[in-house]
Amino acid sequence: MSPFFQKLRSLLHRRRKEEDFRDELQFHLDEEAEERQAEGLPSEEARCAARRDIGNITLVQEEARAAWTWTYMEQFAQDCRYGFRTIAANKTFSLLAILSLALGIGANTAIYSFMDSLLLRSLPVSDPESLAVLNWGANPTGRDFVMRGMSGSTWRDSKWAESAGIFPFPAFELIRTNSGAVFSSVFAYYPTRKVNVMVKGEAEQASGEFVSGDYFRGLEVLPAAGRLIIPDDDRVGAPAVVVLSFAFSQRRFGDAASAPGQSILINNVPFTVAGIAPPGFFGVDPAAAPDFYVPLHTNLLFPLRARATDPQVYLDQNYYWLEMMARLRPGVSLTQAQAVLGPVFHRWVASTANDRERATLPELLIREGATGLNTLRRQYSKPLYVLLAMVGLILAIACANIANLLLARATARRREMAVRLSMGAGRFRVIRQLLTESVLLASIGGVLGVAFAIWGIRFLTLLLANGREDFTLHPHLNWHVLGVAVLLSLLTGLLFGLAPALQATRVDVMPALKETRAGQPGSQHSFRRASLSQVLVATQIGISLLMLVAAGLFVRTLSNLQSIQLGFSRENVLLFRINARQAGHRDPEIVTFYSDLQTRFSAIPGIRGASASQSPLLGEGTWSGWVVPVGQQRKAPTHILMTAPDFFKTMQIPVVLGRAFDDRDQPGSRAVAVVSEAYVKRNFPDRNPLGQHIVISRRPPLEDRDVEIVGVAKNVRYGALKGEFRDIAYLPFNQGSYYPVEEMTFALRTSGDPLRYINAVRAIVSHADARVPVTDVKTQVAQVDQMMNQEIIFARLCTAFAILALLIACVGLYGTMSYTVARRTSEIGIRIALGAQRGAVVWMVLRQAFVLAVVGLAIGIPTALGISRFVESFLFGVKPNSTAALVLAVAILLSAVLVAGYMPARKASRIDPMIAVRHE
Amino acid sequence: MRSEPPSHIELLRGTLDLLILRTLLTGPTHGHAIAKHIQRTSEDLLQVETGSLYPALHRLEARGWIAAFWELSMKGKRARVYRLTRQGRKQLAAEQSKWETFSRAMRLIVNPAGQEGQ
Repeated sequence: MSPFFQKLRSLLHRRRKEEDFRDELQFHLDEEAEERQAEGLPSEEARCAARRDIGNITLVQEEARAAWTWTYMEQFAQDCRYGFRTIAANKTFSLLAILSLALGIGANTAIYSFMDSLLLRSLPVSDPESLAVLNWGANPTGRDFVMRGMSGSTWRDSKWAESAGIFPFPAFELIRTNSGAVFSSVFAYYPTRKVNVMVKGEAEQASGEFVSGDYFRGLEVLPAAGRLIIPDDDRVGAPAVVVLSFAFSQRRFGDAASAPGQSILINNVPFTVAGIAPPGFFGVDPAAAPDFYVPLHTNLLFPLRARATDPQVYLDQNYYWLEMMARLRPGVSLTQAQAVLGPVFHRWVASTANDRERATLPELLIREGATGLNTLRRQYSKPLYVLLAMVGLILAIACANIANLLLARATARRREMAVRLSMGAGRFRVIRQLLTESVLLASIGGVLGVAFAIWGIRFLTLLLANGREDFTLHPHLNWHVLGVAVLLSLLTGLLFGLAPALQATRVDVMPALKETRAGQPGSQHSFRRASLSQVLVATQIGISLLMLVAAGLFVRTLSNLQSIQLGFSRENVLLFRINARQAGHRDPEIVTFYSDLQTRFSAIPGIRGASASQSPLLGEGTWSGWVVPVGQQRKAPTHILMTAPDFFKTMQIPVVLGRAFDDRDQPGSRAVAVVSEAYVKRNFPDRNPLGQHIVISRRPPLEDRDVEIVGVAKNVRYGALKGEFRDIAYLPFNQGSYYPVEEMTFALRTSGDPLRYINAVRAIVSHADARVPVTDVKTQVAQVDQMMNQEIIFARLCTAFAILALLIACVGLYGTMSYTVARRTSEIGIRIALGAQRGAVVWMVLRQAFVLAVVGLAIGIPTALGISRFVESFLFGVKPNSTAALVLAVAILLSAVLVAGYMPARKASRIDPMIAVRHE
Repeated sequence: MRSEPPSHIELLRGTLDLLILRTLLTGPTHGHAIAKHIQRTSEDLLQVETGSLYPALHRLEARGWIAAFWELSMKGKRARVYRLTRQGRKQLAAEQSKWETFSRAMRLIVNPAGQEGQ
């Protein structure tokens, strides 16, 4: 039998084995005694001698047993059993410790799972490591920049004032033809945004992606059914095909396999379903999950929506709109690709620029593409890092607290330790047992923490999405995340267990054994223990201060944002979007369609006003262009908003001069405009703007348009909450003074809860045209809140975290002070007996608490001042080193310290000298 | 009173196994007898501590070099008797040759060639 099975068997027949061994030793003793008796010793003495000879029977037994068992495992199991018993014996302590750990570990796990899904997870395609994303970066100085027009987004980073992932189509061609040595494929794409998709006679809003012919080949994705888009689909005149996402095909066709070959309408253009993308494939941007993919050149089939559907866009070298990715050839690095293509792009982009633009040309940047595009990362990574730092600090406080409690308990267990050590237990063995206990505690906390994390992830998803349907960041517990939770639990267990374990086992056995159970004089060790726990409490107070300052800053930011003057009234407004053009309405009928809807909405009982604009005032981008008074130079771009009549009345924007739009402004009548005060201030500082003519620049083939100012409106927030008021030109939506009308966002001023009117609105729209969906229904208040989403989250979470931190720190302080008071019971008793006033005793204890607080503040204040600038970009209207926030935090902290310290102090002052002294 | 043993020497680490295996080569016997046998055969120079004998016996048994069974002793008591297994014999041979090499090496150093005859 192999040793393993023998050990296993002995585990099963353990009791018999032990009995056998006792018998064997007994036999030995008998033999030995008999032998000695034979040598002439009296029987009793012979027995004793035999016993003496054998030594420590238990030790012999233990060593013999070691041959049969997995000693280490057995001891571990023993430690665990003992640990469980200790945990169960100290219910309050264990509950507190486990709960605070569970909160800490849970919060960390939840935040980490977001980091994981955001920063670490690769695209679900084969060999994601060899993907590369093409970007550019530039530091344009003036207004002259080679990118004269764009559709997409740019961002600023540490190195570049402007960088983006969008390129003109000719640049895509350039890269494709010149990259054969480094890339095995290059593909391009851009989002369709929301379009009207009709499947089996039922319309819905969906978003898709225009993709070049090499897109699926480059990503190396295989279809779930049918075929994917191939290069031959992507040319002018090819049959219009579409690839659906797996989820979309399941939702609309019930089953992926039945979809290929069917026909669907996208913005009223028929497309044939060629195939279905595999489940789990979400394109290249984790922030977007397209419902369908269509060949790039099919954008020419769509009715005019944006610049990109104009054939000219394929030739324009200064219009940036296409995003690009590539797959590196095996063995080629990003740097090599950069070295090959950088100069190629530079020569090309120089040839597209004029002399002034040539000074600050964009530079090609080839970046790692394994995790896809980083739009989400840019948006959420910094907030998540800040949150992670906060929950990390909370966990640290919780650890410090438990270490503190363990330290106090270690003192209580000094006798137990002394007994163990005096009976021959090795110090390492005792430390191991204590560590097993704390890791056990942490593990229970960890298990509970994972449960908290599941709940926390849901809660955070809800918070971050804040009502947005298209929120695609869906983290879940995977092995990474669970691994981190396990690691965290073990680490915290070791962290808070080690110092108390070391301290507990550093006992002088003799004095400890002689101590009575209560009231021991402060020996050198207990003094050191006290100082360690004081350091821990001071640190906790310091960390709490950090959290309080952060909470103060974020709450202040939020209240500043909420008190921003919008320039219009946000209460009782219902907003929703209608896109009639995507459903097939055309000029000029589309204007009548919208006007009719407006009339009918105004007639709903309880509606005090109804109007519409081509985009909502807030929550979306703005339209902007050149609107220049006749005979003046261009100064700054003006933001343009096309509105229906009654817009100013409905939104309650005061018109301070002239008039608002009314029935006089019809198609074909005199073209008019209302401008904002900011526009007047910039362009007509010393003239009456009424009656002045301004020119609106438009792209060919549309001609520039001359309109007359008939009114001036008060400034409003358009597109952004922060910053200066923008120059705005309002145009009637029916005069065709800007671009043709597409979608309109309706605003209804209601009496009472705006959401009550949704059904009436839907009924009216569906009655007018069932093909037109009503989308993005929300109240104006909710929309404004959505813009402050991050600030709201930060303010709420941070306040919650700060309260939690403060609570934990107070518990720590309370524990330490109570312990100190308990230790000094007899001393205080003697003081009182000798005539010390109760007030003086209270003050004596409180003073000690305040000393700790001051030490904590001495750590916390400089740290807070030092690191608060990291959150500067999250703040609004408040400086990161705001004195008010700091003073408030210190005040809150000191009052909390007062409360936590007063209870033990009061208890100290009530010590009965008789009892205290008799105690001794 | 028992006579004082003549000066006894500490057992070298690992040699106890060899001594037990060698003792059992003469036939199965129980722990007490093994200890006495070693003591007697070494003319009381080697004293086997009971505290290390039994753990050693169990270790050897766990490794499969010796096997144990219960037997009634001559006085009618239950005794745990050990015998050498086939594996044990092999192990004994290996240990023996290892020991001989070792002791030869020791002898060569402690008693250099010239004095070997003395």
